[in-house]
Amino acid sequence: MNCEKYQDLLSDFIDGSLASQDHHSIEAHLSACGVCAEVRGDLDAIVTYCHEHRGEYDAVPNERALWLRISNLIEAGDLELATDLRTEIPQNAGWWFRLMNRSWQMSLPQLAASMIAVAIIVSVATMIGLRRFGSGGESAGLRSSGVTTVAANGLPLAERYRQQQQTIDYWNQRVELNKARWNPQMRETFERNLNVIDAAVNDSLSHLNQNPHDEVSEEVLNAALNDKVELLREFAEL
Amino acid sequence: MSFFLPVTRNRVSSFITLLPFFLVLIVSTSASAQQRVSRQFPAGKNVRLELKNLSGTITVESWARDEIKITATMEAPAVHFNPRQTDLGLIIDIVADNRDRRDVGDVNFKVQVPIRSSLDLETRSGQITVSNVQGELLRAHVSTSGDITLSGISAARVFASNTTGNIYFDGDFASGGTYEFKSGRGTITLRLPANCGFHLVATAPAAEKIKMGEFWHSGLKKMGEGRRIIGDVGDGRASVTIMNYQGDIHFLRR
Repeated sequence: MNCEKYQDLLSDFIDGSLASQDHHSIEAHLSACGVCAEVRGDLDAIVTYCHEHRGEYDAVPNERALWLRISNLIEAGDLELATDLRTEIPQNAGWWFRLMNRSWQMSLPQLAASMIAVAIIVSVATMIGLRRFGSGGESAGLRSSGVTTVAANGLPLAERYRQQQQTIDYWNQRVELNKARWNPQMRETFERNLNVIDAAVNDSLSHLNQNPHDEVSEEVLNAALNDKVELLREFAEL
Repeated sequence: MSFFLPVTRNRVSSFITLLPFFLVLIVSTSASAQQRVSRQFPAGKNVRLELKNLSGTITVESWARDEIKITATMEAPAVHFNPRQTDLGLIIDIVADNRDRRDVGDVNFKVQVPIRSSLDLETRSGQITVSNVQGELLRAHVSTSGDITLSGISAARVFASNTTGNIYFDGDFASGGTYEFKSGRGTITLRLPANCGFHLVATAPAAEKIKMGEFWHSGLKKMGEGRRIIGDVGDGRASVTIMNYQGDIHFLRR
């Protein structure tokens, strides 16, 4: 038998539950082997300590409550840590410094919900932005009547006009492709109404040449160009 | 003296005899080429009707039944006409129903709706006429040519626009309501009760083209050499925006 086997039997040896032959065999080994004798000494001390303090470590009546208390203590410790971190922020620190020094802790569902919320906010903001970009300051009713704009508010007039003109050129090309298929009546209707809008565009441009800050002409020009885009788009689909 | 030889005279008299027959034949052939479809749909009191036409007139009037009755007279017999009933009301979209078809021709609609109906009407060309409707919304849009006549209207939101053609509105402005009228070429006429209150932004190509009539008062402000008039009439609670590229704007007191 080697030392490992003897050490496996040490616990039973101390308890006195071994057969007398084994008991004597281990005694003989312990007297000859210093390592095993030392292990026996340690084990003996543990068993003696347990015997002496028996009853002082009874199992807790409500194990779940114990774990909850432990969990609360850990969280309280985290809060204290966070409080300590906050107290380290100087009183005169800016909002950015405070934000960046804040401790952020989130569970997986909280993190997922936050990401979804961010995605929704970004989508809504994009939609509003696009709609504003597309409306160019038109009122709600005219938008609902199918009128859409191509220019953003706040752009210089020339730039806005250039952008709208690009859109008009695009739809004009589409119209020209389809025009051959139209019947004469449709062609006449289109030309007549396009001329009405073009006249409004030219009138506004003429006013703006005389007075570049004429707000009324600027609005009429914008509305007329949007109407032109809308008319071209409608007929481009025919 | 006769202008015709005897043989020719016989032919002429035969032609004159048969002329009424030919006329009847032509008229009946023309009538049979048109197709008339009439359908009725149950509706609540506050129903919404959306009608998008390609070309042709749209005439809407209220009646005392909780039903919508549509009568469509189609120039081309094979036009697809598929009204869809939803929770909110009725949708008729001739444009979508005939997307791949050419020369659909005019479809003339006559519609009867409950008095509280909201209407969203649109046609590429043709007149839109609405009378005695008092719903939440009334929108009438003609993208090219066609008059818009709205009479006996009481709605919180009214939008009427065309490129060529007159716009006539006879009705009330609700406090807090929104009203917009826009035309490229044509006269915009608003016939309103004397006690009507609204905030006005009216734009026309020249000062003399805006005729405020009895609604004019010195508190109204002129901008852009008089091409725009801004200000409150009465309590100013309704919002009225009018734009006319080339035509007149008339206000009439009822």
